Amino acid sequence: MMKGILADTTRCIGCRGCQVACKQQHDLDAQKTLFFWGDGYQNPPHRTAETWNLVTFNDARSENGYEWVFGRRQCFHCMEPACVAACPVEALKKTPEGPVVYDTSRCIGCRYCQIVCPFNAPRFEWNKRVPEIRKCNMCADRMARGEHPACTVTCATGALLFGDRKALLAEAWTRIKKDPDRYVNHIYGENEVGGTCVLHLAKVPFERIGYPAGLSDAPFPNQIKTAMHAIPYAMTGMAAVFGGLAWIINRRMSAEEKDGQEENDS
Amino acid sequence: MKDKSFSALTPGALIVWFFALAGMVGIVVRFWAGLGAVSNLSDGYPWGLWVAVDIMAGVALASGGFVVAGVVHLFGGKQFQALARPAVLTALLGYLMFVLGLIVDMGQPWHMFYLFFGNHMSPLYEIGWCASLYTLVLCLELLPAVFEKYSMKRALRLWLKASPWLAILLLSVFTYAMTYSLVWFLVVTAILVVWEFLMVGGKTRRDVQVPFLLIGAGVMLSFLHQASLGVLYLMAPHKLSALWYSPQLPILFLVSGIGAGVSMMAMEALGSEKLMGHRIPFRPLVAFSRLVPMVLALYLVLKIVDILSRDVLPLLFAGGAAAIMWWVEVVLGIVLPLVLYLWPGFTAKRKGLFWASFFVVAGVVINRINVVMVGVDVERWGPYYPSWSEWLITMGIIAMGLLAYDWLTDELPIHESP
Repeated sequence: MMKGILADTTRCIGCRGCQVACKQQHDLDAQKTLFFWGDGYQNPPHRTAETWNLVTFNDARSENGYEWVFGRRQCFHCMEPACVAACPVEALKKTPEGPVVYDTSRCIGCRYCQIVCPFNAPRFEWNKRVPEIRKCNMCADRMARGEHPACTVTCATGALLFGDRKALLAEAWTRIKKDPDRYVNHIYGENEVGGTCVLHLAKVPFERIGYPAGLSDAPFPNQIKTAMHAIPYAMTGMAAVFGGLAWIINRRMSAEEKDGQEENDS
Repeated sequence: MKDKSFSALTPGALIVWFFALAGMVGIVVRFWAGLGAVSNLSDGYPWGLWVAVDIMAGVALASGGFVVAGVVHLFGGKQFQALARPAVLTALLGYLMFVLGLIVDMGQPWHMFYLFFGNHMSPLYEIGWCASLYTLVLCLELLPAVFEKYSMKRALRLWLKASPWLAILLLSVFTYAMTYSLVWFLVVTAILVVWEFLMVGGKTRRDVQVPFLLIGAGVMLSFLHQASLGVLYLMAPHKLSALWYSPQLPILFLVSGIGAGVSMMAMEALGSEKLMGHRIPFRPLVAFSRLVPMVLALYLVLKIVDILSRDVLPLLFAGGAAAIMWWVEVVLGIVLPLVLYLWPGFTAKRKGLFWASFFVVAGVVINRINVVMVGVDVERWGPYYPSWSEWLITMGIIAMGLLAYDWLTDELPIHESP
């Protein structure tokens, strides 16, 4: 059963408890932060190799003027992840339960996953001698023990909900229908890039709170499927065409040589 | 033989040695302290100068090897025979430089062998396989030069007998690795074996010096991974500017790579004549370079059709760094050299051929830099500029390639003796 997380950002108070729980669960180092980064109170400004889960602080304009709207950034665990299709060594894998997990023992550190991720989730340890790709793994180890991801357990306001992805989608639509003034009519992650396991509700359009807009509903791996499937056809085609061309050209050359010889003989 | 070499410490040679050594130091620091210590790469811009120049442009510029070998040995271009060995040597060194660049760029290069047991839907897996096998093919293509030097007649005979079957094995295993399908494996094997038997049985002519199938393997593998470098970016529609992001990217990479490879060969032959005192077959070089304007014209048409068919024409006039770089790439790298090649008599002179070739090479380097660096825009991340140490390592790898070329052309019968 495909699991997921529903993030109802309208219920988020920006306490960053989930960020702390994530660090605790995965034993991630602390990061130097500033109270005010200049761009807002978001802390740290980006996800890093040590911060896999980030509450974003956005100044969004609504009818009441400017107000805080919180968002959430982490690996969204796509249904058909671009990173998994891109990874040449199968260091990234999509599990049937939902999490996209990483195996450092196979990783070559090429960072192609970072290039293709629609949500810029994978982070790299730039200053380590043996660098790894780091990102949210939806607490796959906890899930295997039947527990919920650490961030969803710690959330004090119920903004984060863990469960079956289908049930979460139904719940999200129920909330939108019941309270259409509270939500924009869109579940981010329902269809984006073929759907993601982490789903989002918000009161303002998602592009205004830093979610990538304009992503197609087609999974990213579709972009390369045609090209990759063409390889064996290209191989056989080239073998036949080059063989044929070489045959024709060389036969003509032999014939010319023969003619030349006959002319010399006569 | 030749009368100049980098082992004589002329000022030029000193510069090359300096960059090679400095690059080596840079590489040591990079492995000691991590990628962040020497590069400006970041989570927003994980690929930069090394991928653009050492890998993308490097592979494109090394394509001269398969184009010349294919034309000479497969498609009856006997008059260009003298160009083949220098081109194959350049290609081999180009690929070794590319592999070195790749090792520097990868975080955990010691896991590289997993590339052969990986995810066959990944374009990077395909490139890994293809480039490794092609490097092997290039080594095989160059072996006769070694046998000649040491008069190893028996080894040469063995090579003649074995290399077509090796080529069949490589291509078949490659097909299996790409598909995990026994059917495709058998189809490709069957076609190649039939081809070989037709030649052995005397039904079609065979080259007595160089096995067709070995050259054929080089051409086929090159076509595939030149294109696959473009496939890499098909999965980055959200980052790469629409000026370059196109479903045609693989074709554009392949075509531009072929043109640049031939130009690179000409430029390098002329350069090695001047700097290292090699004797080069100038007339065949000029004749062979007539291929370049044809490829350039095709490339230009493809570029224009691509821009028009995707309705991104307004972007060309939108200003900004990306649009300017697009024009630089197309005008300086395609239109200008096209005019120079077609100008009567221009490329028949050494200087003319050098400059025409130079602009084609520069155009492709700029194109790859545009795709990897200029055209990539990541939200919330400032622009990426390579650090001086990134430049130093890239220059270092190029310098190492020059030194290796100089040494090998001294040691092996690469250029025809006068």
